[in-house]
Amino acid sequence: MVSHTNSALWVIPALPLATAVINLFVGRRLGRWAGWLASASVIVSFAVSVALVSELVAKPAEDRLFLQHLFDWISVGRLVVGMDLRLDSLSATMILVITGIGALIHVYAVGYMDGDPRFGRFFSYMNLFVFFMLMLVLGANYLVLYLGWEGVGLCSYLLIGFWSDVPANAEAAKKAFITTRIGDTLMLIGLALIVSRFGTLDFQTVFGTAGTVLTKDAATAIALLLFAGAIGKSAQVPLHVWLPDAMAGPTPVSALIHAATMVTAGVYLVVRSHVLFELSGVALTVVLVVGVVTAVFAATCAIAQQDIKRVLAYSTIGQLGFMFMAAGMRAYSVAMFFLVAHAFYKALLFLGAGSVIHGMHDEQDLRQMGGLRRLMPITFVAFAVGALAQAGIPPLVGFFAKDAVLEVAQHTGREVVYVLGAFAAFLSAFYLGRMLYLTFFGEARSDPARNAREAPPVMWVPLAILAVGAATAEWLNLTPEGRLTGFLESVTGATPAGHGLAVAELAAVATIISIVALGLTWWIYGSGRVDWIGFRERLEPLPRAALNGWYVDRGYDTVVIQPAKAGAWITAYVVDARIIDGAVNAIGGGVKRLAEGGRLLQTGFVRSYALAVFLGAVAILVYVGARQ
Amino acid sequence: MRTPVAYYLMLSGILFMLGTVGVLTRKNALLIFMSVELQLNAVNLALVAFSRLHDDLTGQVLAFFSMVVAAAEVVVGLAIIVAIYRRRRSVDVDDVRELRW
Amino acid sequence: MPLDNVVFWVFAPISVASAIGMLLVRNAVHAALFLIVNFFCLAVFYLLLDAPFLFAVQIVVYAGAIMVLFLFVIMLLGVDSGVPVRERLIVQRPLAFALGAAFVVELFLAIRAGVGFTTKAPAVFTANEGGNTQAVAKVLFTQYFFPFEVTSVLLLVAAIAAMVLAHRKARAVTQAEIDAAAGEPAADEMPAYGSGTAAP
Repeated sequence: MVSHTNSALWVIPALPLATAVINLFVGRRLGRWAGWLASASVIVSFAVSVALVSELVAKPAEDRLFLQHLFDWISVGRLVVGMDLRLDSLSATMILVITGIGALIHVYAVGYMDGDPRFGRFFSYMNLFVFFMLMLVLGANYLVLYLGWEGVGLCSYLLIGFWSDVPANAEAAKKAFITTRIGDTLMLIGLALIVSRFGTLDFQTVFGTAGTVLTKDAATAIALLLFAGAIGKSAQVPLHVWLPDAMAGPTPVSALIHAATMVTAGVYLVVRSHVLFELSGVALTVVLVVGVVTAVFAATCAIAQQDIKRVLAYSTIGQLGFMFMAAGMRAYSVAMFFLVAHAFYKALLFLGAGSVIHGMHDEQDLRQMGGLRRLMPITFVAFAVGALAQAGIPPLVGFFAKDAVLEVAQHTGREVVYVLGAFAAFLSAFYLGRMLYLTFFGEARSDPARNAREAPPVMWVPLAILAVGAATAEWLNLTPEGRLTGFLESVTGATPAGHGLAVAELAAVATIISIVALGLTWWIYGSGRVDWIGFRERLEPLPRAALNGWYVDRGYDTVVIQPAKAGAWITAYVVDARIIDGAVNAIGGGVKRLAEGGRLLQTGFVRSYALAVFLGAVAILVYVGARQ
Repeated sequence: MRTPVAYYLMLSGILFMLGTVGVLTRKNALLIFMSVELQLNAVNLALVAFSRLHDDLTGQVLAFFSMVVAAAEVVVGLAIIVAIYRRRRSVDVDDVRELRW
Repeated sequence: MPLDNVVFWVFAPISVASAIGMLLVRNAVHAALFLIVNFFCLAVFYLLLDAPFLFAVQIVVYAGAIMVLFLFVIMLLGVDSGVPVRERLIVQRPLAFALGAAFVVELFLAIRAGVGFTTKAPAVFTANEGGNTQAVAKVLFTQYFFPFEVTSVLLLVAAIAAMVLAHRKARAVTQAEIDAAAGEPAADEMPAYGSGTAAP
């Protein structure tokens, strides 16, 4: 691919960074303007992104690569790593999503966080996050990517625990950071392996020469290590446990970080590194299996959640599973299309949920809601659009995305994957319907529900814009050759084709599954004819288990956390306090005893000293004499 | 000179030994000091004997200097003993044992 | 029998005996007197060894000045009366004697191995050319001139040091102090001191 040097790429991440710094220092004095400043920065960044991407698209397909070298970051021995930015179709897609949806969420947050004492700090962190996320996707080498990777992890921590006066929030932030750290560390080992094999971390070089440099085993090792990082960051099984708890953060945070962008970084990583994954067949299989397992597992948990945000959290985990499923089947452009679609409707759902919570005065329990469609119509419509989109109702974008994934599965002969994927899709539509009906239909079940008000314009305008986007996003890929997927193929390679059922048949099956699920949930939750509380109780203990994520957290506690705590206790109180301190104190005590004995030599009697001198003199004489 | 030199040396050694025993066993500071003088004299004797043996005046000169220095030493030492006596009303060296454990 | 042999064998026992006597007596003055006897014997030995100058110096300096100074101080401090001794350091005496014996044995062996018990000094002491005193003077003021000068400074310093050490600020002695100190030795009521050396 021919590359062109572009000197304007740095502007895109620089703007949010600048406003982050400004808000950090003078945010308090800016008051509400801190929020507008932050939003404006992201909007302008979006505009610049659009301009640059247009420039990119104007070029022929083989020419679509902009590089910018900012400075030499690390220069050690033979390893030279530059602060390099890269704009190709893959990163172009990502930056448009990040800045576009990010801008809408920022504006929304101005309303949502109104009145918060640390308003300015919040937007500083949000901007900082956008900066790091942009660096992650714009990086031209693994180290810049890793910089962004760690940075978004930091911002996630800061933002989840934003309301740090509540201990549970701080715990959730810690949990997120530590869990992703496990993945991050493995990923770092993967980067080290890359350096050891290639001598560089640059994408062009690595992907260009990987075929000749790497053995199959080395490729597997690297790919799996990188994927471990993705598992952590994208909350796949088994490192998914942090995402439901991360809902403790403000809803705009959940929307931006834990739906649209940060959690998708893992997908981006896999797609970006697909060359390495393909050199090792094992790695791709692992990705596929993890994706499928996660999609099904998360969906089963989602249907039982009582907190509106936790439903969405598990939903996100499952949807990311779908993306990894697609990647594991080599359909990278499909995975990216799913990512974009998901960004739209998930952000929409989260913002809608935030609007509901805001209107219900911070009540988040689904059982307390009901009948909100009359009191919050705009929110209702937006949320419904998002729900239907994710449920896969045509002609909304979710249908196309999900259908594309299932189609690849079926066409490449992976029947098991197809069936499981379809099952997960069914569950997905089920929990969406449940959420929709419990929240907006029926009778209000509590006072906050009865007194709910619609969100202020600063919140519902972005919501509406996003809804329109979610409703029309399918045009992104509607042409038969797929506008978006085709655009991406210059980086990702073609989607594997195969044959099986006809496209129309698959589409019909998918639609029927979704409609059945929505109908079922209407009957159970929306129509008022079924006592869904009693229904749930009769199914116990399954709902409780699903609610607790099938007790994975408790399993980790028993297997990992308690032994670690015990080990720490032993190290602190036995090894350190008794053994090490004991040894040191024993030495000290020994010296003391020695000295106590030794000091008795100092009798103070001059004559004793004189005797000692004489004794020594005689001894020396004897010695000298004996040697003669 | 018909006496073997060795006899003078033995005599010197015996006197030195007696002086040392005196230093170690006496408790009166003045008596200790006198024993030290005895030791010094014993050494002077040995020096002069060697000087006679080797036909070199160095030994005698050294003995001479030794005497001079001994004189100076006695002066200072006795001044110290007097000063200590003034403080403690005693010249028993066993009483001067502050520098101990 | 040669004269120096006789003289030697007469005075050697006397010197040893006086040294032992000095060790054994209780009274400090007696001890000092024994020591003076010992010094005289040593002076005779110097004479036997063809060192007449040292013979004279020994008597004048040691017996005549140093021991006199000792006696002065003994009288001054009034410690001439011996006090019965109770030895606190039990091991001191036996060990001292043992070591002394070991030392003598050592010395015996060393001399036997070194000089030998039959070696006699050369018949003529050529270094004494022109008389012992003149020879000593010649060596002293040429070869050992620097130590000589240093020693003179040393004597000066010693004199000053003694004065400083023994100095006591003069003050009026009140009747009350005299009464309070009644029964004490008279030594500490002497106002002025210059312990001064009798030696040049």
